[in-house]
Amino acid sequence: MNLLFDINRSLPLVLAEGGSNAALVSFLIYTAAVFVLAALSNRLLKSKSFMSEYFLGSRGLGVWAFALTFAATSSSGGSFTGFPSKIYTHGWVLALWIGSYMVVPICTMGLIGKRLNQVARRSGSITVPDVIRDRFHSPMLGLMAVSLIVFFMSINLVAQFKAGSLILQTLLDGVTVFESAAGSLSHAVSEIPYLNSAESPEYLLCLLVFGIAVILYTTYGGFHAVVWTDVMQGIVMVIGVIIMLPLAISQAGGLEHTTKLMAKMTPPRISDDAKGGVTLTLNKPQDEVLHIDKGTWITDEPIPNSKVPLLFRVTRATEIPAGETTVNEVKVLQLTTLDDIKRVLGQRETEDFLEGVRVSNIDLKAYAYGEEGAQQGTYVVGPGPSPSSSNGFLPFSLAISFFFMWAISGTGQPANMVRLMAFKDTKTLQRSICTVAIYYTLIYFPLVLIFCCARVLLPGMEGDPDSIMPKMAVLLTENIQMGWLAGLLVAAPFAAVMSTVDSFLLLISSAWVRDVYQRNLNPEASERTIKLLSYLVTFVVGTAAMIVAINPPKFLQDIIVYVGSGLAASFLAPIIYGLYWRRVNAAGAMGAMIGGFSVHLAMYVTGYFVNGSFFKPYQLFNFDPIIIGLSVSFISGFVVTKLTAPPSDELVKKYFYTAKAKS
Amino acid sequence: MSTTPSNDTESMELDPVFLHSKREAWIILGLWVVALLWAVPYCYMNGYQAGFDPETIETTMGIPSWVFWGIAFPWLVADIFTIWFCLFFMKEDDLGVAHEDEDLAEEIAEMHATQDEATAGGNES
Repeated sequence: MNLLFDINRSLPLVLAEGGSNAALVSFLIYTAAVFVLAALSNRLLKSKSFMSEYFLGSRGLGVWAFALTFAATSSSGGSFTGFPSKIYTHGWVLALWIGSYMVVPICTMGLIGKRLNQVARRSGSITVPDVIRDRFHSPMLGLMAVSLIVFFMSINLVAQFKAGSLILQTLLDGVTVFESAAGSLSHAVSEIPYLNSAESPEYLLCLLVFGIAVILYTTYGGFHAVVWTDVMQGIVMVIGVIIMLPLAISQAGGLEHTTKLMAKMTPPRISDDAKGGVTLTLNKPQDEVLHIDKGTWITDEPIPNSKVPLLFRVTRATEIPAGETTVNEVKVLQLTTLDDIKRVLGQRETEDFLEGVRVSNIDLKAYAYGEEGAQQGTYVVGPGPSPSSSNGFLPFSLAISFFFMWAISGTGQPANMVRLMAFKDTKTLQRSICTVAIYYTLIYFPLVLIFCCARVLLPGMEGDPDSIMPKMAVLLTENIQMGWLAGLLVAAPFAAVMSTVDSFLLLISSAWVRDVYQRNLNPEASERTIKLLSYLVTFVVGTAAMIVAINPPKFLQDIIVYVGSGLAASFLAPIIYGLYWRRVNAAGAMGAMIGGFSVHLAMYVTGYFVNGSFFKPYQLFNFDPIIIGLSVSFISGFVVTKLTAPPSDELVKKYFYTAKAKS
Repeated sequence: MSTTPSNDTESMELDPVFLHSKREAWIILGLWVVALLWAVPYCYMNGYQAGFDPETIETTMGIPSWVFWGIAFPWLVADIFTIWFCLFFMKEDDLGVAHEDEDLAEEIAEMHATQDEATAGGNES
């Protein structure tokens, strides 16, 4: 109740504060719009076949709905947090990292789209395991597909819930009402086991708000709610980027100027997490504890024989106790580019500087790649600077792997496949591929330009790169006296993560209701039972994932990568074979699925023993596990098929032949 | 990736959607290979220089030239190809009507048939 009271009391204040609270206002408006769309979608459920409508939108998606749901689902929260932070940290080489997006729409939608849609219609399939089970007429294979989907997607759902909450937390950081609500929540749950062990009260609050919103609208509205909110989210994302691009380029002084400045940049020196940093000494002791926030600037005179002033930025909050003057091992980063240092020092009046302090015992380390004389200009050439890898950020072999990863592995994602089963007709597919191609061109390459400009506009963000997107949104719009616009821009990241989470949630609940219950346990269940079960399972799966995400596993990005590549290694080959090869049989598809899954897993398990961590997979022949997993999957599917009996003529006729047109 | 079905196919023909989709898939795969062979080697040869002098960075429209010719330009070409391919090359096929719940109905029928057989077998014994 306290929490509700705090929010209600503060809402007018929030609205009045405008730009600084733009993120919160936009989140509230946005959530309200999502619920309106869910209510409209729920009305559709009353007039059509429930199962097909709830999980597949009655296969009636038109161009805009299909194109934007496909694009928005594929763009996870990472597109607007992880990707910008990577561009900021590693520079222009990110254009190559994301380069395969030039063919991602045509590959992910065109390689299997038309045929998958036809096969799903012919069999009456609603889910991906449904298609596999029907196409190979094998309940065992269907069950295997369900198990893999539930296994991978459940892990992914928890990870995406965490990602969504972290994004929201980053966006709302510093908003007064948010922090007071988090404080109240912390007080309210302090006695409740498990809840009180959450990462932080801010994280818990974001998780609850974000999670409950997504679970409710997905449960209530089903597939159409997900699609329509995806459309809205897709539009928000592209508008955000289109507004930011000219603002970023003009405020950074033009692209030419930005690139020239970036060419002269050198990576910052950074503190080791375990030890080192700098010692800060106050000119005189303070009467109260001095809190030094993350992001605070500290400057000092140049060291002897150098003309470059010392400029540091705090990367982990610390404090100096009352009456004392010194604190050791303060975690900071040190700027090393003279132009950046001059620019920041020139804004001393407006930036957050800690005055009256001296810096000593500087114990910082250089980037593993990017500082040596031979690595000059590292932000404008490959492989890009890297704090941890002496091979740089994107060595040649990795560039090839990423080209593979986005386009080919994207085709093997069940969440994408479900959408390919839902479009209305071929014309819709053709126009949607064009729409998504233009859409991605408007989003991904401009993001590279925008966040290269961010290096010039916001130096020293390497300590908190995930918040570069909201920081840029606020900076760009405040510079043109339109702070309220920041709300629209910062809505893009949570739009992206919401549209991913809702799709995954529906994918898992469809697996339980359709593939486990209806296809295996009770094929004759009444429509009413199925309906109740669909609502119930969607709600329960979402809530369970949210509860697990209260204390989520670490290695978020690594988990997402593992799941994405594991799904592709397990599903791409069986689906491609099933759609295009008449000779393939259930044993072959099973071989492809098991082969891909196990070899991919084996690379990670071997990584645990060889490299010391499950998430540092073993790279056979220097290739990413996805390439090895996919190769083995295709080969084992082919070999097992050839060694076993061909499928029944009836099955081949059903999916590959059609009655001759009467002349 | 083809095999000859052994059944009589006099009254049937290979599904044109299957044939068109397969041809289109090969072309799309070809496009991916071309994009890979253009972007990655070009960027590697022109954008991965050791001992590079920051003052001499070549730019095209403000973008480092290796990014412009290795990524931005092929991206534009890929978009034009995608639009041409989808609007003028891809066949507009009829995907058929959805046989909603046909798979389920088949399974229920099979289940009942099995149950009937079991019951009949039980009565006989």
